[in-house]
Amino acid sequence: MFFRLLWESFRRQRRRKALAGIAILLGTTAVTAMLALATTIGDRIHKELAVYGANIVITPKADLLDVKIGGVDIKPSTGGAYLKASDLPKLKAIFWANNITGVSPELPITLNLASGQQLPATGLWFHHNLANGGSSMITGAPPLHPWWKLTGAWPSQPNEAVAGAAAGLHIGDTVQADNTPLRITGLVSTGDATDKRLLLPLETAQKLANLPGAVSRVDVSARTKPEDAFARKDPDTLSPQQHEIWYCRPYANSIAYQIREAIPGAQAEQVRRVEQNEGNVLERISGLMWLISAAALLAAGFAVSAAMATAILERRAEIGLMRSLGASKGAIAFLFYSETGLLAIFAGTIGYLFGSGLAAWLGARIFAGDGAASIGPILNPVLLPVVVALALAVAIAGSTPSIRTSLEMDPSTILRADA
Amino acid sequence: MTHTNARKPQLSFLGMLRRSLTHRRARSFSALVALTVSAAVATALLTLYADLNAKLHKEFRNFGANVVVTASASSPLPPNALAGIQKAAGPDALVAPFAYAVATTDRGTSVVVAGTDFPAVQRLDAWWDLAQWPTAADAALLGDRAANFIADEHDVKLTYAGKPITLVGAGRIKTGGDEDSRIYIPLAALTQWTGVSPTVIEIQIPGGAAAVEAALTRLRAQFPTLQIQPVRQLVEGESRIVDRTHSLMYGSVLLIALTVAVSVLATLSASVLERRRDFALMKALGGSQTQLMALFLLEALVLALAGVVLGYIAGSVAAWAISQANFHTATLPRLSVLPLVLLLNIAIAALAALFPIRVLRGLQPAALLKGE
Repeated sequence: MFFRLLWESFRRQRRRKALAGIAILLGTTAVTAMLALATTIGDRIHKELAVYGANIVITPKADLLDVKIGGVDIKPSTGGAYLKASDLPKLKAIFWANNITGVSPELPITLNLASGQQLPATGLWFHHNLANGGSSMITGAPPLHPWWKLTGAWPSQPNEAVAGAAAGLHIGDTVQADNTPLRITGLVSTGDATDKRLLLPLETAQKLANLPGAVSRVDVSARTKPEDAFARKDPDTLSPQQHEIWYCRPYANSIAYQIREAIPGAQAEQVRRVEQNEGNVLERISGLMWLISAAALLAAGFAVSAAMATAILERRAEIGLMRSLGASKGAIAFLFYSETGLLAIFAGTIGYLFGSGLAAWLGARIFAGDGAASIGPILNPVLLPVVVALALAVAIAGSTPSIRTSLEMDPSTILRADA
Repeated sequence: MTHTNARKPQLSFLGMLRRSLTHRRARSFSALVALTVSAAVATALLTLYADLNAKLHKEFRNFGANVVVTASASSPLPPNALAGIQKAAGPDALVAPFAYAVATTDRGTSVVVAGTDFPAVQRLDAWWDLAQWPTAADAALLGDRAANFIADEHDVKLTYAGKPITLVGAGRIKTGGDEDSRIYIPLAALTQWTGVSPTVIEIQIPGGAAAVEAALTRLRAQFPTLQIQPVRQLVEGESRIVDRTHSLMYGSVLLIALTVAVSVLATLSASVLERRRDFALMKALGGSQTQLMALFLLEALVLALAGVVLGYIAGSVAAWAISQANFHTATLPRLSVLPLVLLLNIAIAALAALFPIRVLRGLQPAALLKGE
């Protein structure tokens, strides 16, 4: 009997059910879309912020002092300490290895050209597979310097190179450096002192400078948690438990600390200009999205509960009729709550699907060209129970006052008034 | 029905409106709440949206200089360059001069000594994060690496071309950039000691790529001998991120406004439909279709206006609170969003009143009143 009542109610009152259903559907669509956007906004903005370059830089600990003005070395250091390129795969083995999104080692050298001139050059990775055990990633200088504008192609062979836009070379030229011919495959405009340099593969630079396996500096781009007071603490002064917590949070400082541990003789520091401000921007934008999602939640909650209240109020006559036919208050409340619950689950699930699709579409449109596929699947399974539970809670909360007032009214009054 | 208005037996239109609004308070109240929510959401989102660009650009100011002016060796900066550049870049731009000299420390290591204006750098490079900015005329701020090559950090002894100087150490700076290998001292002290004058002026131009581009054009026209370069990654990054956040907000605002509008519409038209009996009764008593629609419409408009007044206040408070919580600066109420909010709310109310017209028109008053 109960199921028949439930079934008939859905079958016969299509307009009313549709109205309440649409309200729930729209509400859950908006909330799902906002939550889906808010949960991925951190990753998306982090990708955008990658344009500012590395946020951690690794240098040899026992280095000499740079004498650099405006990116130009006034007194190029001879000798000095180097890092070992063979140590770099260790970066993929630290605790926060998965948060490291880019690694770019460099080795500045000076080429002695056949013409007797000297040409400053930098050895870099262009498309390097950095692998350690199971995990590997393709990385190099271009992804860490997204503001570099290339005409032509990055070097793919050891005897190829690209020239800075102001180095006075052309694509197709061949530079004769210490008996090694280097073919220019592209021109790169960087907007800084690198414009006057030749960029060549790291291994070639090491061979030319007779520094096998040497790297003088490594830029690292890592996904980090914005710095707070705790992050600034010196880990060596913390208690063991506190140290553990500090170590297991992806602060730039903790990642730098782990890099120092992993690579002997390395000095890893956060680049404050990038790191501090990126953290701020990231925090502001995702904070804004969360607050707006909260506003959306509140507004959708209001709208849905108002729609549910109206839907129940319209059916007061039905309640009166059931009461006069001898149904108990509990049975009627149960019937109405069941209807509301079914509607909320059904419309909430559809709303979840719509909202996820909408978020994916919006995200792909706004952040076009960032490789939307890498953000994760379109459907976030964690959101489904959250959204449906919210829909249920809001719908039941919205219909409770109306159900209660209708049940407390005298059935004969209702029936007479609403005939 | 007329006993409250004995002097005038025929109930006036406005009287009917008043009675209809106050008779069933609960229903009017829920409609008012719905319209207030829609106006409040629209006000809050539009206010935040209107202020978003300014707020975001302000965050990006912390990244420091986005234009660097460099004098070439052959033509040094003219003496009044700083004032001229400030004027050309605009009153909101932050400028800081830098002079560089290569000196030798007491341990015999070459080090770059930079002379600058500390108060200007403090504004320009907020990320330097010093506990105490140096104020003394002979203060020396030591880069974290450079400090390792100095014997006594409190009594910094440097030599430039045979001329020694002793400065008072004012702490260390650690940025992870070039600053770590340098020693910063006040510009006047450097000029007096080495005779070197500023060669670099760093500028922070607020407002994104277009503003920077305009300032670059002005600067290049006024100072043709100087090399004026934007810091490309900062300028491009700022515009990209601001644009994308802007579009994201735009999408969210539309989505939320639409959701709330449709839900409010559904609720309101349901409550109008609920009054079929009133409609039928009035029709039976001789009201024309137009008169009745006008009554319903006017009733909805009164509620919509009241909703806008309440919602504008609530929405402005919400925008202020969100902005305070997230950006730590207030967003003041904007009167400019009011017309749009008003339009939106009136459109919702009017649609809600007119939407059921098709249903109501087909009704037979007699049938309805009989209870069919």
